[in-house]
Amino acid sequence: MSTIQGEPFIINIGPQHPSTHGVFRIKATVDGERVIDAEMVMGYLHRSMEKLAEERTYTQNIPFTDRTDYLSSMSNNLGYVLAVEKLAGIDVPDRGQAIRVIMAEFQRLASHCMAVGAFTNDTGAWQTPIMWCFREREKVLDLFEMTSGARLTCNYMRIGGVAFDLPKGFEEAARKTLAGFPQLIDELDAMLSGNEIFLARTKGVGVLTPEMATNASLTGPMLRGSGIAWDIRKADPYCGYEQYDFQIPIGYNGDSYDRFSVRLEEMRQSVKIIQQALDRLPGGPHSTQVPLALRPPKGEAYARVEGPRGELGYYLVSDEGPSPFRFHIRPPSFINLSALKEMTVGGTVADAIVVLGSIDIVVGEIDR
Amino acid sequence: MKQPFLVSDKWYDIRDLSNLSNEILHQVDRALPGEAAYILSPLLGFVFVFLLFVLPTQLYLGVLGERKIIGRMQSRYGPNRTGKFGVLQPIADAAKLLTKEALTPRYADKTIMYLAPVLFVMPAVMVWAVIPFGPEMIIADIPNSLVYYLAVSSVPTLVIFMGGWSHNNKYSLFGAIRIVAMGVSYEVPLVMALLGVVVMTGSLSLNGIVFWQDAFDIWLVALQPLAFAIFFICVSAELNRTPVDIAEAESELGSGYLTEYSGMKWGLFYGMDIAYALAASALGATIFFGGWSFFGLQDWVPSWLFFIGKLYAFYFLFIWTRGTLPRLRIDQLMAFCWKYLFPLALFNLFIVATERVIWTDGLDGEKGFVYIFAAANILATIVLVVTWARFLGYRPENQTTKPRLVNEAGGYVPVTPASGEGR
Amino acid sequence: MTRELTGEELAAAAERLVPGSVARTEPHCCYIKPEHLRETMTALRDDPEMDLVYLANLCGVDYWDRFEVVYHLHSFVKNQIGTYKCETHDREKPVIPSVVPVWHGAWMQEDEAYDLLGIVFEGHPNLYRIFLWDGYPGWPLRKDFLSMPGGLQPGLNEFAGVSRRGEPPVRMTE
Repeated sequence: MSTIQGEPFIINIGPQHPSTHGVFRIKATVDGERVIDAEMVMGYLHRSMEKLAEERTYTQNIPFTDRTDYLSSMSNNLGYVLAVEKLAGIDVPDRGQAIRVIMAEFQRLASHCMAVGAFTNDTGAWQTPIMWCFREREKVLDLFEMTSGARLTCNYMRIGGVAFDLPKGFEEAARKTLAGFPQLIDELDAMLSGNEIFLARTKGVGVLTPEMATNASLTGPMLRGSGIAWDIRKADPYCGYEQYDFQIPIGYNGDSYDRFSVRLEEMRQSVKIIQQALDRLPGGPHSTQVPLALRPPKGEAYARVEGPRGELGYYLVSDEGPSPFRFHIRPPSFINLSALKEMTVGGTVADAIVVLGSIDIVVGEIDR
Repeated sequence: MKQPFLVSDKWYDIRDLSNLSNEILHQVDRALPGEAAYILSPLLGFVFVFLLFVLPTQLYLGVLGERKIIGRMQSRYGPNRTGKFGVLQPIADAAKLLTKEALTPRYADKTIMYLAPVLFVMPAVMVWAVIPFGPEMIIADIPNSLVYYLAVSSVPTLVIFMGGWSHNNKYSLFGAIRIVAMGVSYEVPLVMALLGVVVMTGSLSLNGIVFWQDAFDIWLVALQPLAFAIFFICVSAELNRTPVDIAEAESELGSGYLTEYSGMKWGLFYGMDIAYALAASALGATIFFGGWSFFGLQDWVPSWLFFIGKLYAFYFLFIWTRGTLPRLRIDQLMAFCWKYLFPLALFNLFIVATERVIWTDGLDGEKGFVYIFAAANILATIVLVVTWARFLGYRPENQTTKPRLVNEAGGYVPVTPASGEGR
Repeated sequence: MTRELTGEELAAAAERLVPGSVARTEPHCCYIKPEHLRETMTALRDDPEMDLVYLANLCGVDYWDRFEVVYHLHSFVKNQIGTYKCETHDREKPVIPSVVPVWHGAWMQEDEAYDLLGIVFEGHPNLYRIFLWDGYPGWPLRKDFLSMPGGLQPGLNEFAGVSRRGEPPVRMTE
């Protein structure tokens, strides 16, 4: 019996490809439909923010953090200002902290909408779930515009608090926006969670064992999908997260489906947190006075928040100058890519796309 | 043939537009010598059928309707800028595509690449020749039109392969190879399912199948639900529509075999895709939904209106699945074809053949037994599908799971039977 | 709350697991000798008492006179975080042992540190310039790499430090 002999060839998934969510490239060596090797090529969007930040003052650096992960600018702002506050020892008033929590959770909702929608798009659901997600995400972005004046790059957090107090009518608008989310999540659940095709495409695809997830420094829904109960909001509460009642969703097998369902459940929990925060929004000032030319004492600080994509850390070193001596971002979607090769090799090209969608990368954050 | 209630073959009887064309031909035959009418008749048929039905419907209701309905499913408006409710959108699209630069890759096989869109159009037009719009409204009433339809409609597979191959592009090649694998595989259960219909009705002619349904006052979708399901899935695969559009697979392969096509070459593929979908809807409506007949009502109302209505109802099914379902992977798709559809089609054929033998030999073809068969077949379909899905295709790992919820952060939470209640 | 381990605790743990591995201790961190780095890290990861299984962050810092690589290690179960460091004083060819055999997650972060700071991680399976292209002049995050305004211009072929017009480089001052 003779078999057909073929030879592997290289197929470039990206840099211009609908499913790489930006200019990111996987150099996949395929044997027929099966991926036998995958190499990541990145840096198309590299802007050297870490170097640029060393030339600007601490306050001037906040807009940079918007532009790393442009789908969750509020969380990035928050991580950075927390690091500066830790470095300089600045306290934030209660109202400022509650506003931060509200904004960060709204950002998580918006970001997860994008993540879930894009992921379902990658599995081939022809634009329908992503449009539903965008319907609700738009409302959150409207809220951000109402609050900070910008929809995507908000630049809202400040060292010592937030830039402005909440505008008039924010609370009603926020509650109205929030009311749409349980319906959206139920719709997505009904449409996808039990869908036989969706299950076949995502179950058992891109499996990460908990050991592997830990060893590869994965964070966020990737880590939780593998069954590790880890959430910075619970483990190391910042901005008063310990006051709110919420739970950590964790998956079973660490496959793409678990990451999807964890994200959906996290959206439910975020809705819960925002409702609690709106219910007990304290009065008082929204920010403390911080000197414009802030010169934190000599030292270093590593502060992290639980961003939508996982542990978002900022490592700052100060030499008592007006600008940080070293400004390092720990980008979750960059480090989440560590295990991409392990997850894709052995699957088909279609699986590689699903795995990439389940990681939920943002190329602005990978390349910085 | 059952005679209509009011027999009339005057040209103004619009219940059957063939009266009008016959009248014209008659006048031509009288006025002009020789074979003028003979030459004119196919042209007239083409004008009547293609220009009156296919082109406007394809352009307006196909393109626009699909975009509008999908838009509504995705909670957005769909096209609404060009004209009232966006009714001019297909024209605007076509104008845009015509003015666009048609790029050709340097190392493409230009002959095949330019030929493919042209060849793609031809079968899309040809299949309409045998679709009965009314009892007499049919361009070519050949006795084995079903075979003709199946033969012509399998040509696009080859054309798509040509298009994908010629670009010297790996994505296109992926799409091309996928369509060959899929097209050939899905042809088998499709023909098997339609064979059941042929055995039951005893006719290979589409018009004959419609007459049979009219005579027995039952649609074949009730008599052969399993064949209908298989037909619908296989036709979706043949047409490259979601959830089985793996040859195009926008999120995986860019656009598969269409990756390098631009301008009107792409537009031809896009438009003819919809024409094929409409043709397949016409076939489905004819075979399974009674075509132009509507339980005797076609004697009063123009029968082609019923046909058009059924065609769009069927087309809506395509749009609906497209707007709802994710896409399958190639290996799952092939497994689905050979492990599920093919055996079920064989079972269906077996059941139908048995019924046919009992019916003609034992029961003298009495009309009332058709309804008993329909009930039996619906039951058999449910039993077969459920059995196949539950017991033969059951995968415990492919069940819906809800994530576990924990209150405290910590390390790995092992999956225990107690915590695994969601699965 | 996550407990931040002090320098003494970190040093004690490292000394207990690999005697003689600690170079020096600071209030919030502990410096490991490069020759003992991988051994110490493996021991810290596997030690049930420290349980620092998770490499939260890895980055390099240029302090003009030395390069430091900072490791933020985390324990899920004990909920504690520790900062270990490793330094090298060689500016010409800074070499630090790679911890990729210990943590797979260090792979790309070390690539990044190599790309932007020029720290060579010995034993790294695939050390390459992950963001910038091969042959990029200089290491951008080093302190002696010119600042952007008035410094390196796009398309400059010369090495960093010499502007295209031959003028002395301008450093933006505070």
